[in-house]
Amino acid sequence: MNIEQGAELAVVQYNDKNGKDCVTIKKFDSQGKPDVAPGLARQLVTDKKIIGIVGPPFSGESEAANPIFNDAGIPLITPSATRVSLSSHGWKVFHRAVANDGAQGPGAANYIKNVLKATKVFVADDQSAYGAGLADVVKSTLGSLVAGTDKTDADGKQTDFSATVNKIVQSGATAFFYGGYYQNAGLLRKQLTAANWKGTLVAGDGVDDPGYATAAGNDAAAGTIVTCPCSPASKAGGSFVGDYKTKWGVDAGTYSDVAYDAMNIFLKGIDGGNTTPDKMLSYINSVNYSGVANTYKFTSTGELDPSLIKVWAFKFGTDGKTAPDQEIPKS
Amino acid sequence: MNFVGLLHSLGPLSIAGLAQGAIYALFALGYTLVYGVLRLINFAHSEVFLMGAYAALNVWGLFSLNQNSATPATVVVIGLLMLGLVAAIIASGATALVVELVAYRPLRRRNAPPLAFLITAIGASLVISEATGVFTHRSITGVPPLIRPADVVTFGNLHITNLQVLIIVLALVMMFGLDRFINTTRLGRGIRAVAQNPDSAALMGVNKNRVISLVFLLGGLMAGVAAVMYVLKIGTVKFDAGFDLGIVAFTAAVLGGIGNLRGALLGGLLLGVVENYAAEVFGTEYRRVIVFVLLIGVLMFLPTGLLGESLGKARA
Amino acid sequence: MSEPYVESPEWEDEAARHRVDEPIPTGPAEPGDTGLVQPTVPGALLEVDNVILRFGGVVALDQVNFALRQGEIFGLIGPNGAGKTTCFNAMTGVYRPTSGRIRFRGQVISGLKKHEITRLGIARTFQNIRLFPEMTALENVMVGADAHHKTSVLGALFRLPRHWREERQGRDLAMRLLEFVGIADRAGEVSRNLAYGEQRRLEIARALATNPTLLCLDEPAAGFNPAEKERLLGLIRQIRDQGVTVLLIEHDMRLVMGVCDRIVVLEFGKKIAEGAPAEVRDDPKVIAAYLGVPADVA
Ligand SMILES: Nc1ncnc2c1ncn2[C@@H]1O[C@H](COP(=O)(O)OP(=O)(O)OP(=O)(O)O)[C@@H](O)[C@H]1O
Ligand SMILES: [Mg+2]
Repeated sequence: MNIEQGAELAVVQYNDKNGKDCVTIKKFDSQGKPDVAPGLARQLVTDKKIIGIVGPPFSGESEAANPIFNDAGIPLITPSATRVSLSSHGWKVFHRAVANDGAQGPGAANYIKNVLKATKVFVADDQSAYGAGLADVVKSTLGSLVAGTDKTDADGKQTDFSATVNKIVQSGATAFFYGGYYQNAGLLRKQLTAANWKGTLVAGDGVDDPGYATAAGNDAAAGTIVTCPCSPASKAGGSFVGDYKTKWGVDAGTYSDVAYDAMNIFLKGIDGGNTTPDKMLSYINSVNYSGVANTYKFTSTGELDPSLIKVWAFKFGTDGKTAPDQEIPKS
Repeated sequence: MNFVGLLHSLGPLSIAGLAQGAIYALFALGYTLVYGVLRLINFAHSEVFLMGAYAALNVWGLFSLNQNSATPATVVVIGLLMLGLVAAIIASGATALVVELVAYRPLRRRNAPPLAFLITAIGASLVISEATGVFTHRSITGVPPLIRPADVVTFGNLHITNLQVLIIVLALVMMFGLDRFINTTRLGRGIRAVAQNPDSAALMGVNKNRVISLVFLLGGLMAGVAAVMYVLKIGTVKFDAGFDLGIVAFTAAVLGGIGNLRGALLGGLLLGVVENYAAEVFGTEYRRVIVFVLLIGVLMFLPTGLLGESLGKARA
Repeated sequence: MSEPYVESPEWEDEAARHRVDEPIPTGPAEPGDTGLVQPTVPGALLEVDNVILRFGGVVALDQVNFALRQGEIFGLIGPNGAGKTTCFNAMTGVYRPTSGRIRFRGQVISGLKKHEITRLGIARTFQNIRLFPEMTALENVMVGADAHHKTSVLGALFRLPRHWREERQGRDLAMRLLEFVGIADRAGEVSRNLAYGEQRRLEIARALATNPTLLCLDEPAAGFNPAEKERLLGLIRQIRDQGVTVLLIEHDMRLVMGVCDRIVVLEFGKKIAEGAPAEVRDDPKVIAAYLGVPADVA
């Protein structure tokens, strides 16, 4: 929704500027479902007027639909699908306008090291691909700062964390990175607070959920840092934030600014006379576009240029909600 | 393997394990009571517990309390705890009775084979937990902080909190009460009589169906108390909260000797402590591995568990 | 551990009664039902009225009729497999007769539940001892006494005064009964540890604790030596003198003839004789039934 409205705003502004409906946007609703997406994708590629795609927004459906777009040669820019493996399939049409999940681990570690300046860090994960993946990166990035580690069960399989809590307390750590999801993280935070541990819990975007504050209680949740391979839309440049609010009556949500930028990349390409998918693709591959959220330049695998990757820290407040804290410094 | 850590943290790990184990123990009693009398594993017992947990939360919710509320004054807290306990006991007891009446009694009347009971038990468990999942949108419900953990004993790195003391003491009191009830009252004698010889019992005037209802009710009562202890300790409830706990509590019952009340207590406390020790030495991910290795080890030498099987033997 | 309870074929669970399929007589009838086959015997305590009980092809009871008078000692004898225990089972609600009725004080009891029949006043012992093995002798008897106590669950949970009163009464009664059968000194012993003879006497005490009008004893002297049998004989008479009617299954002819007022003889599920001991003893059919079988072993 955020994404669609972000992209649509770009088109509306473009058409207003040019005084007529030069460009139309066609929406395909895959509902985020990997089993729905391929059907829509096949339908989409038969429409010869389509020269580019903003999306698909989610990783699962991307895995299913992107091969079809790749075969048809229609360039795509996803503003929000962050699964690392998407760029490893050799899809020549694939571009990602945000950081991928792999950026979260270094981001979290950098936050702990450079912002919290913790010297003793405890790292645990829930043994899931996502959680353990993050935790492993954090561990290797932090190196000797790691004062202890543990592994919990997955969400719903464990509710009593007294052993882990004891380890954290005994380790003397002042920061705790948890690779996992919000339920376990919330319970851990609550039980850590009950054990009088006053350090900071840092976690990936899997913990950025209202359920975290429900589980921990707002008081205990306050101060928790979650990373996101994204920038808050509210920090977008230009008049985007105001324009979006005026147009849609709501605040710009996560990734809406990136979608806006992605659409503008296509529109700028059209202005440059790239009106076939082929021309559009080679244009995007060499683009260096400065948008409201970021500057975009893609590597050969379609990822953002490493120097452009942004990871933001969000912080839980006493209202149980996250607010942007800061862009995580890389050193 | 971190044996040094275990030695260093023996105190805190033991006390935390006992508090968790106390919940397992009360939970396990439901399995053990029903098994002792019917030779039936009531898998729906985890949802008997669940209903108790939600009942307590709903009662506290009536006073507009949630996880973000301030801790009320002590007198109020005591009142709320009482209310929560009563609500949980009623809800759990009623759930247990209904499960017995709806899921098991018709099968018993038709003399169904054990497999039918097993499937019905699993079915009843799923029906209740999934229905709860639908009603709660599968989301977490937070618990009002009625008891802010505060140390009552501090000794080196050992901190015993008010909540831990409350849980352990309450569990022991419930256990003791149940033990007395079973061993010294008419109804308790009826339960033991049916457990030891259902037909003789009936021919001595014991109403078997009444005894069975009573046994489910008692199990529910204990689960209700366990549920309140759980929500206070863990601080959240979710529709699937009973599942994992149920498996551990059932394991505790088997470890102590299923059908044996004191076995459930011993098994529950032991499991709580062993889990924590194993988590410290091998890592939290190994705690269940160690628990089941222990269970298998014990059953190899004591096939009916640590204290033996029968309800009647509970007095020995 | 105690072995899991295994149902023996002659002692199936309630539900098994319904496996004795074949035409089941109309459900529990109201008190005073006069039955179908015979008019109520006037003044009878228990009437077995044309009872047929089949197990598949086996006809365990075949049109059995007899009636017990209040206050008598009544013998039920017959060779092995004659249907004596089955008759007890039919009377106490373990099996439901395939047809026919059993009336107790005029009320049809065939079809009632076991515990309901017990509470009406019929108590029994078992041919193969069926105590509560892990309970003390005293507790075993108290279970019987409990049948007439009323404390509710809440009463017991909260230990209301009535609960204490009933507990004390039950305990006193149980103790007196243990004294009565002569094993008071074993009151605190777990029943599985009692000697065989003690267990048999404990069964009688337990049955008496239900405060029966009719006590059914299934081979109470099995395995007893003559001295023990003599003591049992005295005990049975004493029970009768307390006003309890006694129905006795026994293979020991001397004992039966010595104590019984009247006797019914079964063979292959059929009643072949009925009358005073002397009449029955001289009945040629009875002699034929027992022929070749030494009287004291049969
Ligand atoms: N549950 C049952 N199922 C099938 N047959 C049974 C059952 N109970 C008893 N019988 C049969 O009914 C007949 C009568 O048995 P019953 O036990 O009543 O004999 P009994 O007179 O008590 O003999 P005994 O002197 O050996 O105790 C026997 O043939 C027995 O096998
Ligand atoms: Mg017999």
